[in-house]
Amino acid sequence: MSENSQSNANHLSRRGLFASAASGLAVGALAGVGGTLGAQALGAQALGFQAFGAQADPDADPLLSYPFYGGVHQAGIRTEPQRYCVYMTFDTSADTASELQALLARWSAAIAQLMKGEPIGQVAPTRANAVPADTGEALDLGPSGLTVTVGLGPGIFTERFGLTHRKPAALKVLPALPSDQLDPALTGGELSLQACANDPQVAYHAIRDLARMARDTVTTRWTVMGFGRASAGPHQKTPRNLMGFKDGTRNIASDAEYAKHVWLNQPDQEWMRGGTYQVARKIQMDIEIWDADHIGDQQTVFGRTKLNGSPLSGGSEHTTPDFHARNGSGDLRISDTSHIALAAHENNGGIKILRRSYNYTDGINQFGQMDAGLMFIAYMNDPGSFVTLQKRLGAVDRLNEYIAHIGSAVFAVPPAPKVGHYIGEALFG
Amino acid sequence: MPPSRFSIAIVALSAACALALAGCASTGQAGDSATPKAGTVAQVKVTLAAGGDGDTCSLDTTSVPAGPVTFTVKNESATGITEIELLSQQRIIGEKENLAPGLKPVSFTLTLGGGTYQLSCPGATKDLQKFTVTGKSAKATGSIQSILKEGTAGYAKYVTGDVNSMVTAVANLKTAIDAGDLEQAKAEYAMARPFYERIESDVAGFVLPGFTATDNSGNLDYLIDMRQSNLDPAAGWHGFHAIERDLYQAGAITDTTKQYAAELQTNVGKLDDLVKKLTYKPEDLANGAAGLLEEVQSSKIKGEEEAFSHLDLVDFAADIEGAQQAFAFLKPGLSTIDPSLTQQVTKQFGNVLSLLDSYKDSSVPGGYVLYTAELRASDANKLSQAVQALQDPLSKIAEKVATAQ
Repeated sequence: MSENSQSNANHLSRRGLFASAASGLAVGALAGVGGTLGAQALGAQALGFQAFGAQADPDADPLLSYPFYGGVHQAGIRTEPQRYCVYMTFDTSADTASELQALLARWSAAIAQLMKGEPIGQVAPTRANAVPADTGEALDLGPSGLTVTVGLGPGIFTERFGLTHRKPAALKVLPALPSDQLDPALTGGELSLQACANDPQVAYHAIRDLARMARDTVTTRWTVMGFGRASAGPHQKTPRNLMGFKDGTRNIASDAEYAKHVWLNQPDQEWMRGGTYQVARKIQMDIEIWDADHIGDQQTVFGRTKLNGSPLSGGSEHTTPDFHARNGSGDLRISDTSHIALAAHENNGGIKILRRSYNYTDGINQFGQMDAGLMFIAYMNDPGSFVTLQKRLGAVDRLNEYIAHIGSAVFAVPPAPKVGHYIGEALFG
Repeated sequence: MPPSRFSIAIVALSAACALALAGCASTGQAGDSATPKAGTVAQVKVTLAAGGDGDTCSLDTTSVPAGPVTFTVKNESATGITEIELLSQQRIIGEKENLAPGLKPVSFTLTLGGGTYQLSCPGATKDLQKFTVTGKSAKATGSIQSILKEGTAGYAKYVTGDVNSMVTAVANLKTAIDAGDLEQAKAEYAMARPFYERIESDVAGFVLPGFTATDNSGNLDYLIDMRQSNLDPAAGWHGFHAIERDLYQAGAITDTTKQYAAELQTNVGKLDDLVKKLTYKPEDLANGAAGLLEEVQSSKIKGEEEAFSHLDLVDFAADIEGAQQAFAFLKPGLSTIDPSLTQQVTKQFGNVLSLLDSYKDSSVPGGYVLYTAELRASDANKLSQAVQALQDPLSKIAEKVATAQ
């Protein structure tokens, strides 16, 4: 894989920053978010360098921007996870292929604007009777590393759009899986939008305005607002899920892994070349019950230590777990029903999926308990990989005592369009 | 309270002036020549593209002879431009929307008289470009404004007719109440409600003589249609919903109920006098229709309007009908200004109406199933999204008809 969205991003944001620093615009913007760098006293140019020193947090750069066009793959998959994410699925009321084409073309063009930090139309139209085209709440916030990723659900490939013959064989509603407690109101969808950014308002604005501009052809189905990325990218410290454990230590990172497990290089449908599949699961956590569990059991459940995330077989966080190691009494050090043992590629015929999840909260439930969990979003070149993993996890994972899969959806994620084209255009050829 | 409620009261005073303005002479004449003959139509290509400093909007020619002109718009790569407009003296005479890279080129044809026009590409680095038409100015023949004006006059008749029927329906309601016939009164209540809902956004701004605008005791809309959810303790219970409360919650007709009915009859009579004096601008119809849909979203879908009788779907259907009437009166003009928007709104009205049809039940007073808490829990989302899909295109009409010439 020659393209690497991460290097693209740094490249682009550096350029963006220099340009702005030269014009003096970046001073205020960075001073606001860069307080922890202690850099306010520095001049604009020095600040530009300082902010991108090795210790700086690129997430804090409001000018961080990723390209929408021209990459082989859509942004928001390999992109290092941003801090926040709003995920929404939709059904479409369109009943002709040309309506669907117009929707995808308009969304594509608007996403390109949004990812540049631009409004999608006039915020304050000059004519008094005109309705604003952009709702305006993201003005002045910068692109903030926004990516919007578009997915097409199984329901798109039906007679009404004449697309049955374009349906990838692997794109099917996920089968019923062990321990599923799916709520129909949090399940399915014909289209998905995943908008991630380092500023939650930028992510929300993107979803809001994309939903708004398409109201005549789409209806909202379900949504989750994610915070605190719960999966790490290769250059990030491993973040923690709401159970307090590091999540994503063994996530997919290398070109070879992406090529083997994520991107479709030999698709059955040519329009999916360079695409992937998105599996979304809303996983509710029984926070109060988990919080009452003692640390020994919590660590046994995951198979890792809580503080530094090292496998219970020993070593440090990134030491390869030894699923055969036994303690003095002859017991497995990492329980064979622990979460990491069941999910490990060593124990699943080499299967790996790219996890790109976020923590979420929905406030307080009807019983007065914290309503929170993990918005699990994963990318893979075959949704069957998730099915294989979840069949095992759902059946015997020790974690099941504390979680419930309450939402589910699967989408085909087409490749990125070139300039002058739109996502999914090849479908209609 | 949606802004449209206020606008009519002001409009009532200023409409004559606005209509006089609408009659102003114009240099350009928009016409819809759907099938222009090749060879006689001037061709203009408009290309939208992403450039180094921003999106560009370029024309292959900036001057054509008077007569039919076809503009063909291709969005090559501009993500920041989604529409273009041809302006004559700041008024839109032709436009294309939903332009996005990758879609097929779209075109529109106008018959242009000699003069200077502007091509507007909102979002482009150069928003306005001069466009010249050489030759004679076109003769004005039945401008869009005059078609729209006919529509507003027709709509005014619709409103007065509706309020006139309301007078009769409220009289029937009062008769049943005075007779102490609870079941008949309930039936008459269900019959009377739609008349108010259909035209509600047009009549919401009236203040009775001697009252200030902040005093609900003199606010005719409050006196006729106040609900428990917007009860002003200083003004108290009045009108339809006070009667509804007695009939459906208490299940009894008292002397107070009879007073409510008598007062309602008086106030509806005042309304009947007032609406005869109303005139409307085209955008008032559009904003009024939008206001009715807001009413649906804000009080019917929530089951707040008919908290005791659960006749919310009856009101819902009446709001939609009123909005559809306003739209129908704009349609002849609007379909010339923007055929695709007209088509879109027509289609979305159709969707909402066919959804409403599925709730029809002739055995219930008012003709629709009761909007119970259970039905609300299961169906509110579906109903709301259908209305939302109509609201969005409908909200664009006001600007179109206000700026058309």
